[in-house]
Amino acid sequence: MPADHSGLSSPSLPHRAAVALGAAALALGLAAPPALAQGKPIRIGVPTAMQLQVGRDTQDAIKLAIDDINAKGGVLGRKLEMVVADETENPETGISAIKKLTADEKVDVLVGGYTSGVTLAQLPHISAAKTIYLGVGAASPAITQKVKQDYDNYKYIFRVGPINAANQARELTGFIANFVKGELGISKIAIVGENAKWVQDLVPVLKKGATDAGADIRVTEFFDTQTADFSPLFSKVKDSGAQYLVVILSHASSDTFAKQWYDSRFPMPYGGIDVKSMDGDFCDRIGAKSVGQMAANFAVRAPLTPRTIPFFDEFKKATRRSPVYTAFGANDAVYIYADAVKRAGSTDTAKVIKELEKTNYMGIPGVIQFDEMHDVKPGNASYKGPSFLLAQWRDGCKREVVYPKTQRTADFKYPSWIKQ
Amino acid sequence: MLEILIVGAVSSAIYAMLAVGFTLIFGVARVLNLAHGSFYALGAYGAYWLTSSLKWPLLPAALASIGAVALFGVAVERVFVRPMRSSQLAVLMITLAVALVVEQALFLTFGSEYRNVPGFVDAKVTIGGVDVAGSRLLALAVSVVVIAALWLFIQHTRLGSAILAISQDAQAAQYVGIPSDRIFSVVMGISAGLAAAAGILAGPFLSVQPTMWLLPIVKAFAIVVVGGLGSIPGSIVAALMLGYAETIVAYAASTSWTEIVSVLATLLMLVVRPAGIFGRRAAF
Amino acid sequence: MLRHRLDLAAAAVLVGAMAVLPLVFPSNYLIGVLTVSAIYGIWAVSWDFMSGLTGRENFGHSLFIGVGAYTAGFLNTSFGANPWWSLPAAMVVSVLFALLIGLPTLRLKGPYFALAMLSGSVIMQRLMLIFWEHTGGEEGINGLAPLIRSQLGFYYFVLGTLVATTVVLLALARSHWGLILRAVRGDEATCQAAGINVTFYKIASLVISAACAGAGGAMYAHYQLQVSPQLFAVVTSITIITMVYVGGMGTIYGPVGGAILLVLATELLREFGEWRLMVYSCALILILFFLPTGLVAPLWQRLRGLLRRKGKDPLVPVAADVMEQQA
Repeated sequence: MPADHSGLSSPSLPHRAAVALGAAALALGLAAPPALAQGKPIRIGVPTAMQLQVGRDTQDAIKLAIDDINAKGGVLGRKLEMVVADETENPETGISAIKKLTADEKVDVLVGGYTSGVTLAQLPHISAAKTIYLGVGAASPAITQKVKQDYDNYKYIFRVGPINAANQARELTGFIANFVKGELGISKIAIVGENAKWVQDLVPVLKKGATDAGADIRVTEFFDTQTADFSPLFSKVKDSGAQYLVVILSHASSDTFAKQWYDSRFPMPYGGIDVKSMDGDFCDRIGAKSVGQMAANFAVRAPLTPRTIPFFDEFKKATRRSPVYTAFGANDAVYIYADAVKRAGSTDTAKVIKELEKTNYMGIPGVIQFDEMHDVKPGNASYKGPSFLLAQWRDGCKREVVYPKTQRTADFKYPSWIKQ
Repeated sequence: MLEILIVGAVSSAIYAMLAVGFTLIFGVARVLNLAHGSFYALGAYGAYWLTSSLKWPLLPAALASIGAVALFGVAVERVFVRPMRSSQLAVLMITLAVALVVEQALFLTFGSEYRNVPGFVDAKVTIGGVDVAGSRLLALAVSVVVIAALWLFIQHTRLGSAILAISQDAQAAQYVGIPSDRIFSVVMGISAGLAAAAGILAGPFLSVQPTMWLLPIVKAFAIVVVGGLGSIPGSIVAALMLGYAETIVAYAASTSWTEIVSVLATLLMLVVRPAGIFGRRAAF
Repeated sequence: MLRHRLDLAAAAVLVGAMAVLPLVFPSNYLIGVLTVSAIYGIWAVSWDFMSGLTGRENFGHSLFIGVGAYTAGFLNTSFGANPWWSLPAAMVVSVLFALLIGLPTLRLKGPYFALAMLSGSVIMQRLMLIFWEHTGGEEGINGLAPLIRSQLGFYYFVLGTLVATTVVLLALARSHWGLILRAVRGDEATCQAAGINVTFYKIASLVISAACAGAGGAMYAHYQLQVSPQLFAVVTSITIITMVYVGGMGTIYGPVGGAILLVLATELLREFGEWRLMVYSCALILILFFLPTGLVAPLWQRLRGLLRRKGKDPLVPVAADVMEQQA
């Protein structure tokens, strides 16, 4: 090349040819013939709280389902693939996660969710993106109410799990009526819940149901999610004369609550909805101080359905952890979506929604069907849908199902320091 | 009533440990170290890791953790704080960034779940009909001892006099030959050690998770300002006031109102007497 | 003056780029990120106008943001008002709060002022949670109507507001207002001795800052279509202060760059998955450590200096420039 002192050099011929070839390749790539689109993978967007256990388990459960489906040939000849976006517990990040997945990554379906507040914030943006959303972690009834109020805009929203807070309240009422009063003979009850909207909506229903069943609700207290010191709360509960403490905890410091209950040898047993207590290692994490606590679980390693035990074992084998509740919904959601797409014959949103509404799938916690609000139907005496079981932590950090009686694996045992 | 007295005392003790360290570094170096909360978190996590992963017994684990965090504090001072000392805001911002990095490191290493710091004492104690966890009483006792020891150290040793001198007039202290830079590092180490000890004492009965640094630092900030920036007795008094105010409100009304009461009290104090209880001129 | 022309040219290029970007890369995601960054820009610029110039760092800026947003939320959902009423209403309410907290804390500065303002925002956050029956508690108010249906249209509206706000505040900062505010930072007592009504200027700058922040809050509410107590959080205030710092305190235009940069960074770093915030914090430490006067403004000043030397204008005599160097 001739010496050039201007600091610039004109591209030489081979250089230009390379650029032209590159441009041609790009053009070809962008204008891929439609026939190739058939093999294009189906993309599942996962908005979840990546740094939390619920987020990790959501991703791992989806991965298990995807690997299984892909190994069997995929869906309509197309493989499934997963794209994750962190929604944290902050609505702002949650909304931008939805936008990233729908507008940027152009996913075909969304599976995920955890905090009700974040999910509620995301709804209008999911609707604007006209993408199907299968919720696996948020329990607020408000999420699916929109489906009924404004079907055209919100028909994309489904909840695969957990059963919504109102249903959970009903189950908890049953627990109080049939077990706490019915079997233990305790009618003086205290209710303590964290300051979250779904809890605040749930408690009045709970109180009414329990009172109708003959329970005497001595005190109802809400506390801030960030509370680290529960002594004032414990003191109030003790002074009220209650003999059983019903709790409703999700984001709050359940670990600290259990530790303080144990450390002060609080003179009454406690139990109820405690999301963190669903973690397999909850009891170990706090030095076995939750032994005696009864916590609701949406599924445990028991033959609730033919899917339950195989899933628990597969999950444990792949991740060496015990799955938390979002894993059940996530895993089921992938299969449910895949089946709906197969039946619809394409990923066309409207067709898939029609098929999703007809879902009848043997899931992990129970049979999964959707009601008119696209909300998972809870189980009852005649229908084997998901419900919840109350399991008690026992010595050695083992869990035994105590309620309902039909699923009982062991009898209730009082905490060691309570004489009964 | 007795219960409020005891629980309030325990809260105040933990707050005092945190506030004293925070005010110490301000009094001496005139910087607000937002990474102080990170020292608290690291103390707790250090003890957790040593006892659960390396299976050390509790006392050596606690001491090692405090020592390590103290050294970390010195390192933070040397590397991040010293070059920025000319601007208070710059130190604020960079120590904040350090706190964020520590939080993320804890998230990535230990996960988001609450971790368990074992307590020295497992038993329950009953005082006058009130059930108190043994670990809480221990926290109270140790805090009192440690703060008293710090006070004696400052009043009766050469190093302590040097610290006093610098807090009163940094330039004059340098004129008489006190190596102020070295003293800053030492004070930072002491301050970090105090925070770590608070974390280890409170760990058994409070929450140990990666974001545990934020709330304590906001509270420590409020206490220190109300007590008088740079004044140790001020911090102790303010810590007692805050601890008891929160406890009384929690018992009388509801835990939801505790934070408002303490924050409102802080705001009122700032409007009425910004220099704090003991004023900002009086260092110790 | 070439200097002003260069400033204008750079501003035009930046605004032009921001306006054209979503047309070149049509994506709701990109528009979303740019919209949020523009709103943060409004918040950052309003913070800088008060705190950057007077040196009284306001650690409770989220108070005005939250108050503006919740006003929008209540007006739109409880009273069914047209979303366009939210903007002036939010500004009025923010101004009221500014007076409420600004008047008692007049004589405070440094960490005392910071803490007082912080307390204000914390109290409001708590109140939103305590009165959950009326405010929706943790989940906040949902179902707000968008201001402008079209995503792109709303983005241009926000961008326009950002430009207008920056221009106005910059003009104020360069006028005798800015001079007085900076003098207050230097030596308040002397200012008062010189007969300047320091109280008026301190309150006025806080009020202006609050009004802009409140309007930004209302816009944010009608964009996210929901309002939550997290808007009042300490973290929000600190994020904004970080943006101003990275942009260059006291420069007014720097914080805009800082806001856009940091919002884009948090999104671009999604590649790192779990490590996103770690990378972000480490980058922040590096910036804070090596660039204590910020990134955006000093960079621009350096660039401008280089361009000027290549231009025809000789360097202007030092005296007239000295005051301008500040801004």
